[in-house]
Amino acid sequence: MTVVHPFQSIVPSRDNSLLFVTSRNQILGFKYTNEKFNILYHWKDQYERETLLREKVIKEQKRQLAENAKLDLKKSKDNEGKPVVRPEPKIPTPGPGAPPIYSIVRNLIVSPDDTKLFACTDSDKAIIELSYDVNASSSTPLGLDLLKRQPYSKRPNAITITKDQKNVIMVDKFGDAFSMPIDGSPVLDINEIEPILGHVSMLTDVLMVTDGEGKQYIITSDRDEHIKISHYPQCFIVDKWLFGHKEFVSSLCSPTWKSDWLFSAGGDDNVFAWNWVEGKNSSKFNYSELIRPYLTDAHLAPARFQNETNDTIEYSVSKVVVLANRPFIAFFVEATKLLFIISVDKSTGFLALAQQIEMPYNIISLSSSASDDELQITLDNRDCDNHKHFAKFVTFDKDTGKFVVDTTKSSAFDEAVAAALKLDFDLQCEKADIYPLYNVTSLKKHGEHFS
Amino acid sequence: RAHSNPFSDHQLEYPASPAEMDWAKLYPHLQDEATGEMTKKVTIADIGCGFGGLLVDLSPAFPENLILGMEIRVQVTNYVEDRIIALRAQNKDNLKYRNINVLRGNAMKFLPNFFEKSQLEKMFFCFPDPHFKQRKHKARIITNTLLSEYAYVLKEGGVIYTITDVEDLHLWMVKHLEEHPLFERLSEEWENNDTCVQIMRNATEEGKKVERKKGDKFVACFKRLPNPTII
Repeated sequence: MTVVHPFQSIVPSRDNSLLFVTSRNQILGFKYTNEKFNILYHWKDQYERETLLREKVIKEQKRQLAENAKLDLKKSKDNEGKPVVRPEPKIPTPGPGAPPIYSIVRNLIVSPDDTKLFACTDSDKAIIELSYDVNASSSTPLGLDLLKRQPYSKRPNAITITKDQKNVIMVDKFGDAFSMPIDGSPVLDINEIEPILGHVSMLTDVLMVTDGEGKQYIITSDRDEHIKISHYPQCFIVDKWLFGHKEFVSSLCSPTWKSDWLFSAGGDDNVFAWNWVEGKNSSKFNYSELIRPYLTDAHLAPARFQNETNDTIEYSVSKVVVLANRPFIAFFVEATKLLFIISVDKSTGFLALAQQIEMPYNIISLSSSASDDELQITLDNRDCDNHKHFAKFVTFDKDTGKFVVDTTKSSAFDEAVAAALKLDFDLQCEKADIYPLYNVTSLKKHGEHFS
Repeated sequence: RAHSNPFSDHQLEYPASPAEMDWAKLYPHLQDEATGEMTKKVTIADIGCGFGGLLVDLSPAFPENLILGMEIRVQVTNYVEDRIIALRAQNKDNLKYRNINVLRGNAMKFLPNFFEKSQLEKMFFCFPDPHFKQRKHKARIITNTLLSEYAYVLKEGGVIYTITDVEDLHLWMVKHLEEHPLFERLSEEWENNDTCVQIMRNATEEGKKVERKKGDKFVACFKRLPNPTII
């Protein structure tokens, strides 16, 4: 059955007039005016990975053949004196039956000056730098200008921008953090890029923060339980670690209204609030009982980690974000419909449940506007057969003091997607071909190696 | 087994933070009976201590220091544990070997879980796994990024000791330590006058093996510099 592929990530421009979403290897940009979304930008990653992989394999085959030929020259003989015939090199060739190759655009962020979009591509493990104009208007979709494409040797997992807007900081699956200049300098050779810091564990998120004296720090989180704070740009000076997580950390955020604070979440039953300057945990919010009714068979642990009664469940917080102007954070647990809104006591950092908002489908991604109190959410609406519920916008209602779903804006977005479908974009796919949208909980470690 | 993959998800025990580490279990004689507090902290660490030769020789040379060996291989750790238990029993009357012990752990991943900032005076890296393949270089115990973490647990003026019989690895370690802004190489003269260098050259099982085979031993020592002005 053909469906519109759910949007994997969502991010608004800083002024919240534009909205960017990703659909597999495409970025769509919509402009919101007069309660209507109009498609303004469309960009598709044209990078063809399969060809490149094939070239790589052929090259490796040639190298092995050459090596064998060299050995043959030495005329190796077996015990009976007969020449040894070497088997053809065994290298898998991508073709039918090969694991699917996904080319997803991930980790969408916008620059503080609201002119650039950064993302990471699976295809060539690159950071891409694209430009946009918040004042642009057009009746036909515009392309986004690709200013830079810097590939890396390992897959990027998260990116952020330094305060001076001169560098993008990227953290990768291998545990290293890199700094990519955005001053128009040329792309570097993949083998010549040195990390600015590293963990001996997969890095999951990165954040740039500033202390009361204006000194910059870089905060990195990993698949072990570590949150490390290093000075920036002197990343070789480690300031401290924040200890408390018992499971992997998946997401970090820090409020502009209290820059000493940090929120973190991941495989633990708790969302953590920290004063990172003092290195102290100020509060923990345990969501395990609240989420229980929303867990499904999708949360059963993989078979090899199951218990005898087959009821081991595994779940984790996929993303935690902070509101721009109000003392609230929001988060969701992977593969659930529930959005948690948590109030933060502005003097103690104490976390308390403010609201739970149930969405019609599982939440895939969550972001928070930089300028107003709005949350953007995309949903896994693959089972919705009338092209609705692609995204939801949650705003703060000053009259009631509650967060509510902005139904006008949410419907306007669904209509814009329907309109975009009439254009010649590649937004649809077979239901079975939807990219795996839930991969955070699989970061959980099971202590597989005993010796 | 001679090797262990430092990236693997091992079944490891480690404290959630340095404050939660039960040191009394390793050094029971250094616990204040009245308060239950430790009277001393570990200041010397032998990373990848192997069969414990260095620990055993450092113990009488630094009787006032607590010395910890870290080893990732279970069997080897068990051996060193037994060795120390036996040594302590044999020396019940002269109280020797109470200042050394070993624990199983992945120092590359969890060092900051055990040690506070600036806690250590000396760190030893004796005959580390050379990881010859280019692809495996990140698994080496001395890398630019790991050195920042060693600098965190080392106090100013603290020393990193390295010794290996693999010249390539020696050059690699020297290169990375020299490149790191928080370390400075100590002179050959300093090395020749340092007790630990003498012990390190002769004490470890690997060292003795190299000796028997008449192989080369490459030593390099580096001092932890003060942090530069924060910009």
